[in-house]
Amino acid sequence: MIAELFYRRQALVLGTLSMIGIVVFWQIAVDTGFINPFFISTPSQVAAEFITQFEDGSVATNVAATLYCFAWSLGLATVVGIILGMLAGWFADVESALEPFIWFKYSAPTVAFYPLFVAWLGYGTPTIIAIAFLFALTPIYANTLSGIKNTDRDLARAARSFGARPLDIFLRVALPGSVPVMMAGLRLGVGRALTGVVVAELFGANAGLGYAITYYGQLMQTTKMMVSIVIVIVLGVLLTQILSFLETRTDSWRVDSNR
Amino acid sequence: MAQIEIRDLGIDYRKPKSNEVFSAVDNVALSVEKGEFVTIVGSSGCGKSTLLMAVAGLVSLTRGSIQIDGKQINGPGPDRAVVFQEASLLPWRSVRGNVKFGLEMQRWNGGDLNERAMQMIRLVGLGRFSDYHPHQLSGGMRQRVNIARALAVDPQVLLMDEPFGALDAQTREIMGTELLRIWERDKKTALFVTHDIDEAIFLADKIVVMGRNPGHIKEVIKVNLPRPRNEAILDSEDFHELRKRLRAHLAEDMSSMQLVQEVA
Ligand SMILES: Nc1ncnc2c1ncn2[C@@H]1O[C@H](COP(=O)(O)OP(=O)(O)OP(=O)(O)O)[C@@H](O)[C@H]1O
Ligand SMILES: [Mg+2]
Repeated sequence: MIAELFYRRQALVLGTLSMIGIVVFWQIAVDTGFINPFFISTPSQVAAEFITQFEDGSVATNVAATLYCFAWSLGLATVVGIILGMLAGWFADVESALEPFIWFKYSAPTVAFYPLFVAWLGYGTPTIIAIAFLFALTPIYANTLSGIKNTDRDLARAARSFGARPLDIFLRVALPGSVPVMMAGLRLGVGRALTGVVVAELFGANAGLGYAITYYGQLMQTTKMMVSIVIVIVLGVLLTQILSFLETRTDSWRVDSNR
Repeated sequence: MAQIEIRDLGIDYRKPKSNEVFSAVDNVALSVEKGEFVTIVGSSGCGKSTLLMAVAGLVSLTRGSIQIDGKQINGPGPDRAVVFQEASLLPWRSVRGNVKFGLEMQRWNGGDLNERAMQMIRLVGLGRFSDYHPHQLSGGMRQRVNIARALAVDPQVLLMDEPFGALDAQTREIMGTELLRIWERDKKTALFVTHDIDEAIFLADKIVVMGRNPGHIKEVIKVNLPRPRNEAILDSEDFHELRKRLRAHLAEDMSSMQLVQEVA
């Protein structure tokens, strides 16, 4: 236990140290003239610019716009992915019927649908949500599917021996048994939803972190652009970590449903 | 009329990746009286589990019939409960949750579920562990939970498939004694599959010896050792006799297995 804690700490410390190392290296490389700041700016400039953007409210605006699309796309992907995944995991026919779409999604890059969505939904929020929804849908669907489909046969048989009906087995055996895999799918979905939002914002939006990145990128204002990039990275890490935490909570089987 | 009446039972399985069938069990006839403790022994693959699962209503019969209290069985029923060999506890539920599971599935309405579950948990000696989860228990404790879960639904017939198969010899002996102690309370009819000769004798009123190809009953041996029993009878003259007889049966099976290997 203590060793484990130490190990965790150690990982955290090492991770932090290497991050700091990179930031320091970045600053020094620019200060010594090794790298042209025009391409990459410097940590101190980015920090100063962050404060400026924070104070004039553009950080809040962009983060809010991105998170708005993120929340919608992840929410929709979670609902649709879990429902379809449960149906496909339980009914082999549904799985077969959905299979072509999944292959299609795996092999064709989702961004390729961008123009199509623009044609249907116009530029802006709805299209961004749609793209990010597609990004996030696959892992949530696929994990739910495999969780339900790989229900422990011995447990299902034990349930049947007590007279369980198919719906009992689904609700009391298959579903709770799939929660950890579904959580893992959700964690992947979170990362992909955020990626989806930012990528879609790069193409066309009037607010959001992705929008800010392209906007300042096109103006060659590297420092201003770096602020949004760093925020995206931090958001991604933060959201994924929250999900990882929830995942270990559900994975340990230590959560007592008290039933 | 016997409580369990098995007539001309035959169960065929389809061979993997072909349309051929093969007989796992054939021509099995057996009657078990109410309150009888019957153990089933035989070499691996002779169809012991298949027979037990057929009585449980978990595999369909190809030929013949199984009646319980004069009624043809049709799938699982509240008159029977099964203790599986292993891994049949829900890992996300506590000991209490697992014992309640069978009751929930049966839509039990004989009073408070929690109370009933706790009663059974105490009966198998796990009172202090009711909030533990399966991964926090030893193999022996897990099997106690399995037994508690089966007893909780108050079945007429208790079906046990090598419940102590994964335990070490010492624990297995303790569990056997425990099982008899619990069984003596209300003497439920029991079918108990095992590989262990001593266990088969120690528990039984009647030992069913099965042979293979296809699975059939070779002999049914009455055990007239007095009850209640304790470890002392392991050294009795009668026990030695029975042990010798069972050994001879199983040795015969082993030699026929070697023959198969030589041919192959
Ligand atoms: N679901 C199944 N499909 C096809 N064949 C099966 C199936 N279950 C069991 N069999 C076959 O039926 C035969 C009897 O199996 P069974 O599990 O009843 O044996 P057993 O006596 O319980 O063996 P063990 O002592 O090793 O548990 C074996 O040859 C096995 O391969
Ligand atoms: Mg078996």
